[in-house]
Amino acid sequence: MAFWKDFDEILTAEMASTAGGLLAGTLLAFITNKIELIPALLIFLPGFLEMRGNISGSLSARLSSALFLGATKPKIRKNRILRGNVAAALFLVLLVSVILGMAAFFMNMVFFGIFDYRIIYIAFIAGMLSNVIEVPLAVFTTFWLFRHGHDPNNVMGPYVTTTGDISSIIAIFIAIVII
Amino acid sequence: MSHHKKKLLQRVTKLRRHEHHPVLHHVHRKYGISRRTLFYMKEYGPRSHVAHVIIRESVKILIIASIISSIGGISLQSMGDKIYSIVPLLILVPAMNNMVGDFGCIVSSKFTTMLYLGKVGQKWWRSRHLHNLFFVILITSFIMSVFIGVAASVIAYWQGFSLSFEVFLKILTIAVFSNLILVAVVFCVSIIGGLGIYGKKEDPNNFLIPIATSVADLLNLVIFAVLVGMFF
Repeated sequence: MAFWKDFDEILTAEMASTAGGLLAGTLLAFITNKIELIPALLIFLPGFLEMRGNISGSLSARLSSALFLGATKPKIRKNRILRGNVAAALFLVLLVSVILGMAAFFMNMVFFGIFDYRIIYIAFIAGMLSNVIEVPLAVFTTFWLFRHGHDPNNVMGPYVTTTGDISSIIAIFIAIVII
Repeated sequence: MSHHKKKLLQRVTKLRRHEHHPVLHHVHRKYGISRRTLFYMKEYGPRSHVAHVIIRESVKILIIASIISSIGGISLQSMGDKIYSIVPLLILVPAMNNMVGDFGCIVSSKFTTMLYLGKVGQKWWRSRHLHNLFFVILITSFIMSVFIGVAASVIAYWQGFSLSFEVFLKILTIAVFSNLILVAVVFCVSIIGGLGIYGKKEDPNNFLIPIATSVADLLNLVIFAVLVGMFF
């Protein structure tokens, strides 16, 4: 029956995805003493997690469409479509991270009266670090799934949001330590 | 593929972007190549700059979606002291954010597919498929929110947080209530947005997921902050 099939698939995917979300939350709880030092981090965090999931999810979805249409092959070298997609994802993450950092800085100043611009630097560094982890992970996993006869569209959505949450929190932690 | 077909596809890739040229319709009708394949070839063909096309089309919606989520972060920041001091709440935030985003994705994409397949019409409230989807998401959301509430409490306890039964019940209530409200919101946004975008002859897949997930994230954080303020 379609109802139980949907229920089974959605519940299984959610279980895996939520486990990743809980892991991200646990990491966050471990670094509480560090994040408390940076005002506006709680304003920045939801937007950053959302952005990471959206960009990596779209990257995987576009690559999957290209693979299924035969417009590209699952190889890294001499691949125009892959090069363009990766360049766009890297640029978008850096751009949106800085905009989010600036938005968090202004919101913090307006609503809480705190003037602390470190959040902009943290946003930029965290965006750069999360790119290093997440973009190759999304590309290699999409290609791997396609090569092994799976449909990346069914797996990559929950996968990239989960890995994105974990890598984003690690990236933010490293950025705080650097700053 | 025949030589003639190849030549026609080469013509398609050379078309200017945004141009709804009659040759697309002709190739689709005569050779049975799907409109989506033709659209993809025109969009990312040899004459287009792939990265530029992607950046131009997605930058606005990404910025809007991320800023909407950050607005939700203001309510979170206003409850910052309580959230930092009650560890299970801090663990709940990314997990709930993740789950609500996933539900936004699932409902939006499934509703769009239903629209394309004609399983949902203007009288959407009569669609058996939509009823099924609603109950699947409602039951899954209930099970997952109980799971998240329990798991966050157990992890916090394991980390050394002194957890009383009263606090545990409050955390469970926050997780369950906020999720149930959000399922209703996600459905409303997906149905209203999906019908509106589909009515304008646009593909709801391109807009509905960022809109539904960001609205759900924003409300998730606001409801979360309100419930934390009420209970703690």
